[in-house]
Amino acid sequence: MLNIDLVATLIALLTFFGISAMIALSLNLEYGLAGVPNFGQALFVSVGAYTAGVTYTRLMPLLAGRDVIDPCGASLGQALGLRSEIIRTVPAVGFTNFAVTLVIAALIGGVVGYLASYPALRLKEEWYLALVLLVGSEIVRIIVRSYDPIICAHNGLSGLAQPFAFLGNSRLSSMAFAGLVLTAAGLVYLYTQRLARSPYGRLLKAVRENDMVAASLGKSVPRARAQVMFIGSAIAAIAGVFFVTNLGFASANDYAVAFTLDIWVMIVLGGLGNMRGAVLGALIVTVLDRVTQVMAIQLDMMGSQFEFNYVRFIVFGVILLLMLRYRPQGLLPEPLETTRAHAHLAEAGD
Amino acid sequence: MLMLEHVAKSFDSLRAVKDVSLTVPQGAIIGLIGPNGSGKSTLMNVIAGSLQPDAGRILFDGHDITDESARDIYQRGLARSFQDPSLFFRMSVLDNMLLPVKQQRGEQPARAPWHRLWRRDEDAHAAVAAANLADTQLRGHYAQPASDLSGGQMKLLELARSMMGDPKLLLLDEPTAGVAPALAYTIFDRIEALRQAGLTFLIVEHRLEILFNYVDSVYVMHLGEVIAHGTPADIQQNAQVREVYFGE
Repeated sequence: MLNIDLVATLIALLTFFGISAMIALSLNLEYGLAGVPNFGQALFVSVGAYTAGVTYTRLMPLLAGRDVIDPCGASLGQALGLRSEIIRTVPAVGFTNFAVTLVIAALIGGVVGYLASYPALRLKEEWYLALVLLVGSEIVRIIVRSYDPIICAHNGLSGLAQPFAFLGNSRLSSMAFAGLVLTAAGLVYLYTQRLARSPYGRLLKAVRENDMVAASLGKSVPRARAQVMFIGSAIAAIAGVFFVTNLGFASANDYAVAFTLDIWVMIVLGGLGNMRGAVLGALIVTVLDRVTQVMAIQLDMMGSQFEFNYVRFIVFGVILLLMLRYRPQGLLPEPLETTRAHAHLAEAGD
Repeated sequence: MLMLEHVAKSFDSLRAVKDVSLTVPQGAIIGLIGPNGSGKSTLMNVIAGSLQPDAGRILFDGHDITDESARDIYQRGLARSFQDPSLFFRMSVLDNMLLPVKQQRGEQPARAPWHRLWRRDEDAHAAVAAANLADTQLRGHYAQPASDLSGGQMKLLELARSMMGDPKLLLLDEPTAGVAPALAYTIFDRIEALRQAGLTFLIVEHRLEILFNYVDSVYVMHLGEVIAHGTPADIQQNAQVREVYFGE
């Protein structure tokens, strides 16, 4: 017999969908539109999580007029109690800290993305860049896992609660946070869609199609790539803040390669270069992800020995293979036209 | 307009261009011919900044552009086309036309999301693009992907696209390669019309029977060197040219 809290499941699903959509949109901007194969997307999301790890433990106590307590050593419990108390009792500080975290994460993510684009100037094959980012992402994860000050190394850091936690009622606070996440995802969609439908989007497509010709037509290819990596990585880091505060717990293990591959499945499935496609891909993958997780829990509770949780990896792999084989353009293909200049000419008479 | 002084370019032990000097006067159509492997395309790449010369000097419109990047050279008004159609095939014909426009406000990511900041400029550029497309009989194709065009139409689109950056001089690498004869004349008629409007051309072309009807003078390259320069009539009479180029 299924034993599921449907409302709680729906709220969790919408929250994960909103966060996934933001990350998928950022990757679709970078790869779908500009052709920069970012296989280190987990790194840029983790920047948001690590930023939250630092701000929640260092900045938030200061904002509340309290002393900073070492979050990792013997005072771990005391520091956790302080974080929970501030978020629960001083919502203004919780929100201010959250907002500052978003801004700092976006800046750090953007700068790291900008710097990561530098190898693109040196590497002749774009897929070498993919490998550099993949390996770079893992290196950072392993360093963070063994370095205390950021998120207490391999122990991770708990108590990174979302700012509505002060409401007391967990369902109410989850609903409010889901609303905030979906609003942020909506804004990211509007922003990326507007970029894609602008002369800047046209420039990114041209760089993707043939960078040598784009350069011969007076375009700065390195600058275009660096800009899009700044923007995409900033968005990914913002999503990372939502991701980690939704979980309430930061662990470097959450940002392994599998995380990046999930996002790739979303954009390949939805449609490379199509922002609506990225959102659709995020929705489908999130639903599949949640369904398999809920199924796994139910089967476990029913005493099944079958480890259903890993079925999703098989499903995602099959989806990726089928899409690349039979519909590489995705469910929603990239629109041919960029700006409204086409409509302008049509109106002018043809 | 364009002056090359003792330009050389090697790839390891291969000396693709050796000590080439040539002049392209303002408003002229100059041909650059030679057998395959004579160094013409390498020379075009060197002039356009895609390759850096090993020696020599290149002057364009009074500026020394020898060490400048392809992007900077384009900004000075020297545009080029490639031997194979170098279009953005998955983009529309109109997007191909609009990309080369210089100083587009909407190309800055800070302004791009705000349509009001660039919409008027974009519509004005689209009107110019439509006029250029009409001149090359491509107006009706503006909303199609560039990949849907025929080989000849692609060459015409490249020519029309190169006009969108307000160039002073066009380097054309085999503008009629793979194009039916009638369309090849259409392309050269368009080139002549643009010359009348003040543009200067340096054209690499293998179809001499067409090229010779339009050029003011011709440089002949062989094994990386200029072996002759003169009017089409002079070149056709030149014994060395006939030997290396026509195999006589």
